[in-house]
Amino acid sequence: MLNKSLIEDVLSAALITGGDFSEVFVEDRFTNRMTLQSSKLEKSLSGRDFGVGIRVFKGLNSIYAYTNNFSKEGLLQAANACAQAIQNSEEKTIVVPLVKQTNESIHPFQIMPNSVEKGRKLQVLRKADQIARSYHSSISQAIIGLVEEEQHVLIANSEGTYIEDTRVWSRLAINAIASNEHDMQTGFYGPGRMQGFEFIQNLNLKHYAREAARIAVTMLNAEHAPSGKFPVIIDNEFGGVIFHEACGHGLEATSVAKNNSVFANKVGKKVASDLVTYIDDGTITNEWGSINIDDEGEKARKNVLIENGILKGYMIDKFNARRMNAESTGSGRRESYKYAPTSRMTNTYIAPGSSTPDEIIANTEHGIYAKYLGGGQVNPATGDYNFAVNEAYLVKNGKIDKPLRGATLIGNGAKTIQKVDMVGNNLGHGAGMCGASSGSIPVNVGQPMLRVSEITVGGREAN
Amino acid sequence: MDLITFRNKLFAEGEKIGLSDIELYYEKQSGFGCQVSQGEIDDYRSSTVSAVSVRGLYQGKMGYAYTEKLDEDSVSFLLSNLKENSVLIEGDPEKLFTGDTTYEKLDFYSPALLETTIEEKINFLKEVTNKIYEYDKRVVQTSYASIQDQLVEKAIFNNNGLSLQDRNNFLFVMFLVVVKEDEEIKSDYYFKLTKDLGAMDADEIAKEAVEKSLRHLGGKPYPNKTYPIILNNSASAGLLAVFSPTFSAKSVQDNQSRLKGKLDTMIASKAITLIDNPHLPDGIKSGTFDSEGVPTRKLTVVENGILKSYFHNLKTAEKDGVKSTGHGNKSSYKDSIGVSPSNFYVLPGDTSYEDLYKDFEEGIMITRLSGLHSGADHVSGDFSLAAEGFYIKDGKILSPTNQMTIAGNFFELLHNVESVGTDLEFTPADFYGYIGSPSLKIKGLAVTID
Repeated sequence: MLNKSLIEDVLSAALITGGDFSEVFVEDRFTNRMTLQSSKLEKSLSGRDFGVGIRVFKGLNSIYAYTNNFSKEGLLQAANACAQAIQNSEEKTIVVPLVKQTNESIHPFQIMPNSVEKGRKLQVLRKADQIARSYHSSISQAIIGLVEEEQHVLIANSEGTYIEDTRVWSRLAINAIASNEHDMQTGFYGPGRMQGFEFIQNLNLKHYAREAARIAVTMLNAEHAPSGKFPVIIDNEFGGVIFHEACGHGLEATSVAKNNSVFANKVGKKVASDLVTYIDDGTITNEWGSINIDDEGEKARKNVLIENGILKGYMIDKFNARRMNAESTGSGRRESYKYAPTSRMTNTYIAPGSSTPDEIIANTEHGIYAKYLGGGQVNPATGDYNFAVNEAYLVKNGKIDKPLRGATLIGNGAKTIQKVDMVGNNLGHGAGMCGASSGSIPVNVGQPMLRVSEITVGGREAN
Repeated sequence: MDLITFRNKLFAEGEKIGLSDIELYYEKQSGFGCQVSQGEIDDYRSSTVSAVSVRGLYQGKMGYAYTEKLDEDSVSFLLSNLKENSVLIEGDPEKLFTGDTTYEKLDFYSPALLETTIEEKINFLKEVTNKIYEYDKRVVQTSYASIQDQLVEKAIFNNNGLSLQDRNNFLFVMFLVVVKEDEEIKSDYYFKLTKDLGAMDADEIAKEAVEKSLRHLGGKPYPNKTYPIILNNSASAGLLAVFSPTFSAKSVQDNQSRLKGKLDTMIASKAITLIDNPHLPDGIKSGTFDSEGVPTRKLTVVENGILKSYFHNLKTAEKDGVKSTGHGNKSSYKDSIGVSPSNFYVLPGDTSYEDLYKDFEEGIMITRLSGLHSGADHVSGDFSLAAEGFYIKDGKILSPTNQMTIAGNFFELLHNVESVGTDLEFTPADFYGYIGSPSLKIKGLAVTID
């Protein structure tokens, strides 16, 4: 991607004013995006991202510059811009000799996206479209998207790291719209993995496309959700987004290092219900949020964050490791060379418990069953979160009752994890995109079905 | 390789492989951004990225490709991808714009900003941050304190002779001030944009940023029910932003907008007039042409409640038998031509802020909405969003409330606007455009308070 001596020169040039760490991140990425709408291929886009990010630390100062002027002059100029941002320092010359490290991929790919003709991909989109549309006469529109990314990175730093990695992601996004005379409702399912075209080719389209259509049709006939405090049963897979928002972000060093999290300084303390074990694991084979190495060149690992309610650790990147006087946990991630990395999640999930899903529902007299959640948001400083429920039901006398639309759950993360009172045995993962200061990255959220004894549900009907 | 050499080579090679029309779109973004934390710079970034994207007609169908790597090999990379993408494309044909002789002569480039040194920007940020801490002892920290500037340069060329260039630069500061009293922690965002750092007042910014967070301390619960609502300017702008795609002719033609078939009918209360002005001097999305090269102009979308026009690009306009409104925009050089607003806002009314709620026996003022990307469905219009704000009693603000949700439907809400304030404010630019609104008085929304 760039030759070794040039990288060595750039790393040295960046340190000339006294920086104590320099890093080069080179990215070459190919993207394909196809969108089928109104049963016609409306978009087929492809392109190449290419650029270099240079980072320098001096104590607790961090400087970042990025450019896609990849000529020697362009790169040295960017390295120099970093160096000049460090003030009041002595001139010094540091030689950074690099030795290439081997990177053994733990997430094998079979079919690289660019080796497959787009016509074959179009057939998959058409099939998903046809399944979604034939589900019910009220399905008025389907939008099927395919995203494929092939990212090659080279990461080198003044500590001697010099490593390359290839990441491949494939995701199908199925949107179905159901409508009647007065109303339109949408249903969404977006399965994705860190894998090549083999994932798309073997995907159970029937299941995913029908689910998206079923959600839209169900919501078309749903009543407005009630308002008030309820026990809430959250289903597995993407349901885990609640803990992604409610605790995951608060366990990232980005907020912990600045004491900007309710979980700061609480290692060893009880922060959650005994039933909660929360794990971030980048090593799960080919999962959407998986990594071989993070974007600072550190190997992927399994980090136990909370174990039986006790806080065990955080997700830490190299820069925040300095602030916290700790080690990186392989959690430094970024969207692209346009972002400096920071601590982020990979595949984060609540470990399975012992209840069956039937037991959880049967034990709930009056509550809300959130089958599919949409996205959400958290303010790490306060822990206040909110997120949307895409498909919800009323639970009455231990049975699932009528469907509900427009439910939003709000609450405080630190309080909600203390109120988890049943955890199921059916762990599942769901793919999502997580946006934060280092950009938008693929992450998995996961959990078994579980119940929170009380969450505030914001709906339109007085309870 | 310089741009003109690249263009000439691309056009020549493109014609050789059978492209009848070719367009080169160039974008260059350069910027500086910096954050301070406890008096120290803890994030500092500078950048320059240029990229090109190419559109071309191959056997009557439009293909696309882009690259951030501009070298000898890029021409063949772009053309082979473009060709492969074009053959599969279906639907209404897309065409290149042949050009127009009447472009407004406007420049959204501020030389004053370019002359501002990095040191001046950092010093200003430090000054405001210090003043934030001095302003009130309940300030715990600024969990976000940032200054950023950006220069965006664009050019479009095609082999029919179109040759256009535009540029826009701006600077903004953003703060998230965390305040604490007893065990209660609150925070709120503050955003301000300028084309001239010299015109920014550090004292005023610090005061406003701190006051915005302080006012939320002392939150209380109130009953869940439907209240009359004041939707503050930035909250209202956020809501208009997520529902702005509904005004696009593309959404209408794709059966994804409930405004289909509603032209020249009342879709909002008489108090509502919606304007899109691509020539606002301080608009982040200001420019003299859109991403297709069509000249931009001011557009009245809704006038006194009546829907006057959708946003159009060349393709949607042809389908509806009208002229493009100059809203053929790409979200970036990576995307295809879509439809989106430029600087889109609710026209201010004549009711002062205090007068909006002076006759409330009881009501809720919403100052901030969150979860907009997940809790609002622009197809159905339904929203259920986390909110922060105040409880109003007998025309006076009584106290902040605990965290709330508000739920309703955007299309119903438009009809329920009773009056419009004078305090137009824009939200930070994002995916949707640069969107603004004054504060709105609304008949009622369902409110749930934690």
